[in-house]
Amino acid sequence: MENVQSLDDEIRTLVAGILEMDAAELDGDALLVQDLGMDSMMALEIVASIEKRYKVKLPESALPTVKTLNSVIALAKQYVL
Amino acid sequence: MSSSVDAGLRLDFEAIKRIIPQRFPFLMLDRVIELEPGVRTVGLKNLTGNEWFYQGHFPKRAVTPGAMISEAVAQTGIVFFHYSRAGDVERDVTYLLGAIRMRFLEPVWPGDQMRLEVTPVKVMAQAAMLAARVLVDERLVAKGEFSLSAKPNRDL
Repeated sequence: MENVQSLDDEIRTLVAGILEMDAAELDGDALLVQDLGMDSMMALEIVASIEKRYKVKLPESALPTVKTLNSVIALAKQYVL
Repeated sequence: MSSSVDAGLRLDFEAIKRIIPQRFPFLMLDRVIELEPGVRTVGLKNLTGNEWFYQGHFPKRAVTPGAMISEAVAQTGIVFFHYSRAGDVERDVTYLLGAIRMRFLEPVWPGDQMRLEVTPVKVMAQAAMLAARVLVDERLVAKGEFSLSAKPNRDL
C-alpha cells in the first residue's frame, strides 16, 4: 500500500513539473489539455518521463490516455506495479 | 563527392538539404557521419569566424550562441526523426521543436568542429523526445533533451 501511495505522489510531482505547476494544486480530475494548458509535446514528455524513471516501455497507444492526472496515475500503475 | 546517402550511414550537405528545410543563414549542419535509424545520429558542424552570428555575439570576442548550438542539435534531431519514424506515416511534414533543455558546459569558439550526437528517449509516429550531446575535440561542451513533432503541412 505504501508503494501505491508513493507512486501516486511521484506521478503527481512528475506531471506538475512538466506543467510547471505546484503539485499540491494539481486537481486529479482536471483535464490536462483543456483546463491546465497541456500540449501534445508535454503529453509525450510525461510518457517519456515515466518510461525513464521506472524503466518501462509504454506503447504509442498510451499517449491518448494522458487526459487527467488520475488517468496518468492509472496508466503508470498498469505498467509500473 | 556525390550528393547522396552513402550506404545508408552518412549524409553530405546536399543530402541534408533534402531532409531539413533550413537554409543560410540558419542551416547548422554540414554532414551526418553516423545514421542508424532509431538508434543514433551523429552530425558535424564546422564553425568559421565568418558565421553571421559572430558579428553581434560578441563584437569584441566571438563566441557561439547557445541558441545556435541548440539549433544545430535540433537539426540533427530532425535527421534522426526523419529516418526513425516507423510505419506508414505522413511524409509531407514540417518538423517543429516542442521543448528544449540544454546545459552549456564550455564555450564554443570560431574554428571549433561540433560533433552533434542525438539518441532517442521516446520516438512515436508524430513526435519524439531526444537526448543530445555536443562535443568539441572529444570534450563535452553541451548536453540536453528536446522534443520534436512532425506536423502535416496541410494542417499548418
